[in-house]
Amino acid sequence: MSIREQISSITRTEEGRRRQTIGSVDRESIEGYLWSLPYLAAFTVFLLWPLLKGLYMSLHNWNPLFPSESEWIGLENYVDLMSDPFFWNSLWNTIYFVILTVPTMVVLSLGLALGVNRNVRGKKVLRTIFFSPYVLTISVVAIVWLEFLSVDFGPINYYLNMFLGIRPEWLTSELLAMPSLGVTTVWWLLGFNFIILLAGRQGIPERLYEAARLDGAGTWRAFRDITLPQMRNSILFVVIIQFIYQFQVFGQPYIMTTGGPAGSTRTIVYYLYESAFNQQAYGYAAAMGYILFAILVGVSLVNYFVIGGDSDE
Amino acid sequence: MSDTDPRTDGGVDAQAEESLLDRLTGNRSLENVGVHAVLYGVAALFALPYLYMLTVSFQPRSEAIEAIPHWIPQTFTVEHYQFLFENSLIVQWTINTFLIAGISTLLILVADSMIAYALSRMDWPGQSVILVIIVASFMVPYYLNIVPLFTIVANLGLVNSYLGVILPAVASPLGVFMLYQFFKDIPEEYEEAARLDGFSNFQIYTRIILPLSRPVMTALALFMFVYNWNAFLWPLIVLQDNASYTLPIGLVSTLNAQIYRPGRTMAMALLASIPLILVFLVLQRYLVRAVELQGVTE
Repeated sequence: MSIREQISSITRTEEGRRRQTIGSVDRESIEGYLWSLPYLAAFTVFLLWPLLKGLYMSLHNWNPLFPSESEWIGLENYVDLMSDPFFWNSLWNTIYFVILTVPTMVVLSLGLALGVNRNVRGKKVLRTIFFSPYVLTISVVAIVWLEFLSVDFGPINYYLNMFLGIRPEWLTSELLAMPSLGVTTVWWLLGFNFIILLAGRQGIPERLYEAARLDGAGTWRAFRDITLPQMRNSILFVVIIQFIYQFQVFGQPYIMTTGGPAGSTRTIVYYLYESAFNQQAYGYAAAMGYILFAILVGVSLVNYFVIGGDSDE
Repeated sequence: MSDTDPRTDGGVDAQAEESLLDRLTGNRSLENVGVHAVLYGVAALFALPYLYMLTVSFQPRSEAIEAIPHWIPQTFTVEHYQFLFENSLIVQWTINTFLIAGISTLLILVADSMIAYALSRMDWPGQSVILVIIVASFMVPYYLNIVPLFTIVANLGLVNSYLGVILPAVASPLGVFMLYQFFKDIPEEYEEAARLDGFSNFQIYTRIILPLSRPVMTALALFMFVYNWNAFLWPLIVLQDNASYTLPIGLVSTLNAQIYRPGRTMAMALLASIPLILVFLVLQRYLVRAVELQGVTE
């Protein structure tokens, strides 16, 4: 056995690997980098680099055709945003949308998850039905609901007209447009939350409920003192993830209302999209992205400390 | 417990008896009926949009725009489907979507599992920093990057190309994190034994790690396929030519037609969702697993 072979057989053991690191050729390090390279390349070029470039762009009056001629304007984009009524309007619209959808979705999916977790017939069928809209693209969802909510031809208005004599202008009145997008969204994404909460409920040991039953606790007591605390993490996860996700709503207003009527469904991401790709205000849009990023990081940190502070229990 | 606390003893027993009484008198089964009624009621409401889509797509236009909604077509027609196959780009869009979602998923699986392997099974300087950066990048909201990302993709000459959609999809950190969590829990012993037998990293990866991770890889693959099939905002920005659209974008581009034709729109929506609905029905448990895993990882 040559020395080289001996060395290479030694390096296959833990001890050998540790010794090898002391030497000048660290094969494992090189391999580590090589194995990471494909992902890191994509990650760097298409995630990290835009993140930094966005910050740089936000400090410029960006010229999309001749980027090198972009003018450095410092924080002017940020200052302008603070006094832009469209920005504030879209921020409130987005918050309104989040308030409409997130609590509804979480409460409804929790109810359905607890229901399906009971001793019901056809669990699989129910799960399939509740979860299935989640695999549809927003285009399909939006198109189907456009027809559903159609003022003159939609089935909803037909029955409302028949029983109550009203034909609400779902998507063309300022009052109802956003709630209509909310209903569409709840139908579309409820299943995601339902699956996570169902898994959370199934993770609770049954003996806790047996013990409670022996102690004479009723359904409500068991729900309040066992189900809710035990499902705390899944519920918090669902709330936070939905908050972040719904904050970025775009497809629904883009397809169903084009931000109208009178800008009442123009959300933040929609406004960002318009600023960048309709008005070519790239620097302005990039600054908008950063302000929202700051908001979401704040929320995520709160989330991290709320959930993280409790996880050792 | 009741021995140590005699005060509540009687009350507890009484309550326990009450619920037993409930059960005997059938209150339970009444409640059970109620639960079933609510669950199936909601399920029926959930299914209505599907039924409507299906029905309208087989109705002639005259029937679809009648005031009364017909939940079952009075006159059955396939004219909308025929029209779409003969006069629209829907086949092209389906192919585009399939290629984009398929290639993205494949690249994601390869790249993510490789780095997850390096992060979990090898020792190299800087790996913990890289892991932290990748995990932290979860916090970067998607839209934050779209403007600078578009300029980068444009500089690379990838606007209006499949690659312009695919490559940014590979940068998603979700799969790396999911696979890392899974790989690091695979017991060291498997690997030690293999190393003693002279296995290289590549052999350990292909013969031990990957076969052991088939469930999590399948879940990730399915989730990514569905996610990229359905992606809307980014393809909308990058794909600017009718023939290069994916289904979600193509579908919306047809909405601007002057004449209101609900049947044709619904037929198109249905055709666009059939592939995923089929995938969903066959592989639902993997997708459920993928969603559950996300709940666990965070």
